[in-house]
Amino acid sequence: MDRFTVELIVSNHYGVLNRITGLYARRGYNIDSLYVNETENPEKSRMLITSKGSEYIQTQMVHQIRKLHDVQKVILMTQINR
Amino acid sequence: MKLSGSQIVVERLLAHGITTVFGYPGGAILPLYDELYKNSDKLNHILTAHEQGAVHAADGWARACGETGVVIATSGPGATNLVTGIANAYLDSIPLIAITGNVAVSMLGRDSFQEVDIVGITQPIVKHNFMVRDVAMLEDTLNQAFSIANSGRRGPVLVDIPKSVQTDICEYRNKTPLPAKKTYCTFDAGQVSSAIKNCKRPYIYAGGGVISSNAEPELGVLSERLSAPVGFSMMGLTALPDEYKLNLGMAGMHGKLAATAVKAECDVLIALGVRFSDRATGNATEYGEGKLIIHVDIDHAEIGKNVPPHMYVNGDVKDVLTQLLPLLPAMRNDEWLARIDELKLKGKTEYASSGFTPRNIIETVRGFCGADTVVATDVGQHQMWVTLHYKFQKPRTLLTSGGLGAMGYGLGAAIGGSIARGRQRSVLFTGDGSFGMNLTELATAVSQKLPILIVILNNNALGLPRQWQGVFFEKRYSQSTLNRKTDFVALAKAFGAEGYLAEDLTRLEYALNNLPDRKPTVIDCRIGMDERVLPMIPPGGSVKDIIVK
Repeated sequence: MDRFTVELIVSNHYGVLNRITGLYARRGYNIDSLYVNETENPEKSRMLITSKGSEYIQTQMVHQIRKLHDVQKVILMTQINR
Repeated sequence: MKLSGSQIVVERLLAHGITTVFGYPGGAILPLYDELYKNSDKLNHILTAHEQGAVHAADGWARACGETGVVIATSGPGATNLVTGIANAYLDSIPLIAITGNVAVSMLGRDSFQEVDIVGITQPIVKHNFMVRDVAMLEDTLNQAFSIANSGRRGPVLVDIPKSVQTDICEYRNKTPLPAKKTYCTFDAGQVSSAIKNCKRPYIYAGGGVISSNAEPELGVLSERLSAPVGFSMMGLTALPDEYKLNLGMAGMHGKLAATAVKAECDVLIALGVRFSDRATGNATEYGEGKLIIHVDIDHAEIGKNVPPHMYVNGDVKDVLTQLLPLLPAMRNDEWLARIDELKLKGKTEYASSGFTPRNIIETVRGFCGADTVVATDVGQHQMWVTLHYKFQKPRTLLTSGGLGAMGYGLGAAIGGSIARGRQRSVLFTGDGSFGMNLTELATAVSQKLPILIVILNNNALGLPRQWQGVFFEKRYSQSTLNRKTDFVALAKAFGAEGYLAEDLTRLEYALNNLPDRKPTVIDCRIGMDERVLPMIPPGGSVKDIIVK
């Protein structure tokens, strides 16, 4: 299993974190690390979510997250073998 | 112009061209219902017997006319009763707006009477949902809701409006409706067309995306041009007329033998607006053997989710085919066409045309229907028999619960379908199990004077579980025999509908010749308990495992 991190720019709004972590929970992927912070634009937040999964899982997560209305940007950041 | 939240909702619905809504009132949505009362000349509200009936009706309405369905319910139990219908619309990508009331903003989060977090509950089964806490946000929110429901892959959006927001006043700006976001699709059409040109045995696998993008004419041209047979997922089934020579019908677990077998033997599989659901695909690893898979879908997340394609186009089916067709020459492989005919012949089963069998019942009813008649089904054996034996001629004439497989969907959908087609007769094929789930909607069909024909294929059992128990559980028929004594004729009459009992084709024809025009009719067709849906491929199997007798 590869560790992977997704960087997101999302609306800084209640419930948004829930929508995103719900996608991980639904598929049974544990979140190893989670970072959320308001950006210089107070309407947006930046998230960094680290999890483990195969290449298939990583691509699926990115595509599924991208469909969320509150998500403006998704970048699959790191893929470190472990 | 200053308007209340409720007035804004009505104004927005009208601005989006909505003239029919389905729903059920209750405490937390009363201010909106007061506005519906005042605007009943412009906005037709259909009151159902249960919120689930309302959401299925809105869904059926949307499927039959291709526009956005709207359902309204109150907070708490009203909202939770919508859940099955919202999930149903989500899994079949049907545009739907669900508007729910909630307790006043000051009462939220206190476990107030009839308060539930419906936004939290529906989160995994909507494209998006909103809780509107400030009336100033309401106009924009509704505008966005319609746009989201119709952008890209369609689906349901829920808007939860607390009672206080419905009565609060703010400035209404009467904004122009936001258009659905267009999915721009640029792809190397030359590459795709040369890949197709290099193949000898083409097969088109078409799904709900074809119907959703109104790409039926393009699909027909593509099939003729390539001399390619077309097999369907259940959601794509009505895209081409049954009599079209290369229409093989539904493929998959309970699909036609030819549709599944030809698919296994092709060398290029052109998948249009499908998601390779497990019911249609079976064994996903054996699936792609020896063939080039080209996948076209509007939802990028579907590409490679279940079956990895060799080539894909992320776009609207109509848009993609419009770009692709000019590059494709006429092709014809007589050997392949002969093989298709051979497999079609192999799939033809001998059957007596006189027995009171599901197939004969469906064909008899078909004889009384027009090409435009909307047919709804519930879920189970009868649904599979309809997909196998009913000869559809026009798109959007089949309303059926594909992805969710929700028993109890059909009657609501038949109501919505009838209303969408100018209150013409729609037909519901159902089973005694499924009908039992939401039969209270007979009351709605009666009060709306809808001439819906309800054909119950009554086998006194939960047929599909029973069939599976017969094959996979050594005939241990656990809880699938109904032993009910329901008199469906008396039940229909008690609701104010017409009712007939049919135990042979003559009685069925008699009933069909005597259908009233302004009320629903229930025909209780008594069929054998051991009628099976065939062919059948066990879950995760392939065409090699197909059971035909």
